[in-house]
Amino acid sequence: MGGNFIIVMNIIRLSILIILGLGAIWFAWRVFMTSSMVRSALSLLASMAILGMMFLVMEAEFLGVLQIMMMATEMSIMAIFMMMYMMDPGGMGNMDMSHQKKLSIGTSLVAGAMVIVAVSFSNWETIATEVPTPAKQNYDLGMELMKRSMMIFETAGTSILVAMIVSTATALPFKNKKDD
Amino acid sequence: MMWMIIGIGCLVSIYAIVVLERRLVYKTWEFGYPVAAFASYFIQENVKPRKRDKTFYETAPILFITVAVLAIGIFPWAESSVIANMATGALFFNAALAYIMVALVMAGWAPNAVYPMIGGWRFMGQLIAYSMPIVMAITATVMRAESMNMMAVVESQTGLWNIVYQPVGFLLFYAASLALTFLPPFDLPNAPGELEGGVFAEFTGTRLLIFRLGRIILIFSLSLGITHFFLGGWAGPFLPGYVWVFLKTILVACSFFVVGNLLPRFRHDHTLEWSWKLATPLALFNILWVGILLLL
Repeated sequence: MGGNFIIVMNIIRLSILIILGLGAIWFAWRVFMTSSMVRSALSLLASMAILGMMFLVMEAEFLGVLQIMMMATEMSIMAIFMMMYMMDPGGMGNMDMSHQKKLSIGTSLVAGAMVIVAVSFSNWETIATEVPTPAKQNYDLGMELMKRSMMIFETAGTSILVAMIVSTATALPFKNKKDD
Repeated sequence: MMWMIIGIGCLVSIYAIVVLERRLVYKTWEFGYPVAAFASYFIQENVKPRKRDKTFYETAPILFITVAVLAIGIFPWAESSVIANMATGALFFNAALAYIMVALVMAGWAPNAVYPMIGGWRFMGQLIAYSMPIVMAITATVMRAESMNMMAVVESQTGLWNIVYQPVGFLLFYAASLALTFLPPFDLPNAPGELEGGVFAEFTGTRLLIFRLGRIILIFSLSLGITHFFLGGWAGPFLPGYVWVFLKTILVACSFFVVGNLLPRFRHDHTLEWSWKLATPLALFNILWVGILLLL
């Protein structure tokens, strides 16, 4: 009885994961199929929020909630930056969102293949038989961030900060001192 | 039985908040106002802008009210009564608040009109600026509880409430709550008299009803947040825990309206400047303060 119940639960969980995954892919595809910048950014948000839900289904509570939270702010900020920089933010001028199609399709296929190869041939060590409690997950994540992966995260954080400062600086109006 | 009382308590609180807002802001006791407003919006014609973004126009009100309701789910009503006893409750509350912004950006963009769009982008700037102090104030309460679970946060305040333990955090959370619910003096996104309703300007009938109801629920959930993070949650003498939760929550909501009455609307640039230049460093100081107290 117990064994059957676990198998049924696993099948249900796998089905939900597949449905959510397909949803994430569908919204990711919508990002490029719409001509409105805000729609595009919010489609990406939907895709990312669904990834957060996938974490929740896999019982990684902290990562799931964090992903869902962070993406809301990030994608909204991206929406306003896209509005600022694009010539056709509202999609009224029928601008095509996709460009360099052959190159981008080629790049994404190669990148996808590389990820699949990396996942298939990685040494995953022993797979945990039980999901750790959320508190233990937080602790382990903190240890990972503060020890082994510290450099990666710090570098990523600094790069994002630099990118934000640079893009804000370029958006400022240029003042020619001679005109004053 | 317990859950029935809590459910009825929530409905009565939301009704009370609407009536008290009429009393404190418009100076009239109108006990029938919530029902009358509900009925009038419900039967009102749904006038839609011609060139609207249909998906966002329909999604925004639903998303707004859904996240406001979801935010309530993580708060405990008494020692063992909580709908979703999440280990990351405090973080979940934040996540829900972030989607309020998404809903309003959608609502601002969807009608394809000037006033709503300005209102929507204004709210985005405001929320991003004020979510920093709110997140850091919550972090400091979480540090004291050593857990993001809301039960643990409330239990950590036994003996000394967080309003006394970390007064700076409380003030920041309180001001940011006003900004997040866009109540006066932070009512820039819908600024009556300036933007003619702002983000809500092009919404009528049931959609506007959902927005207005959602906003009252949002005020309720942020008041609940202050009650649980800073005012000891269900702690209180004589009365049962959930009665204290409701009493404190309604009092906090009333104080929002009173503060709004006393202050004029802030300028948008001042609002943002104060958050980034003053509130965010103060929030960092608050984290340091709590850290020192915990180590002592």
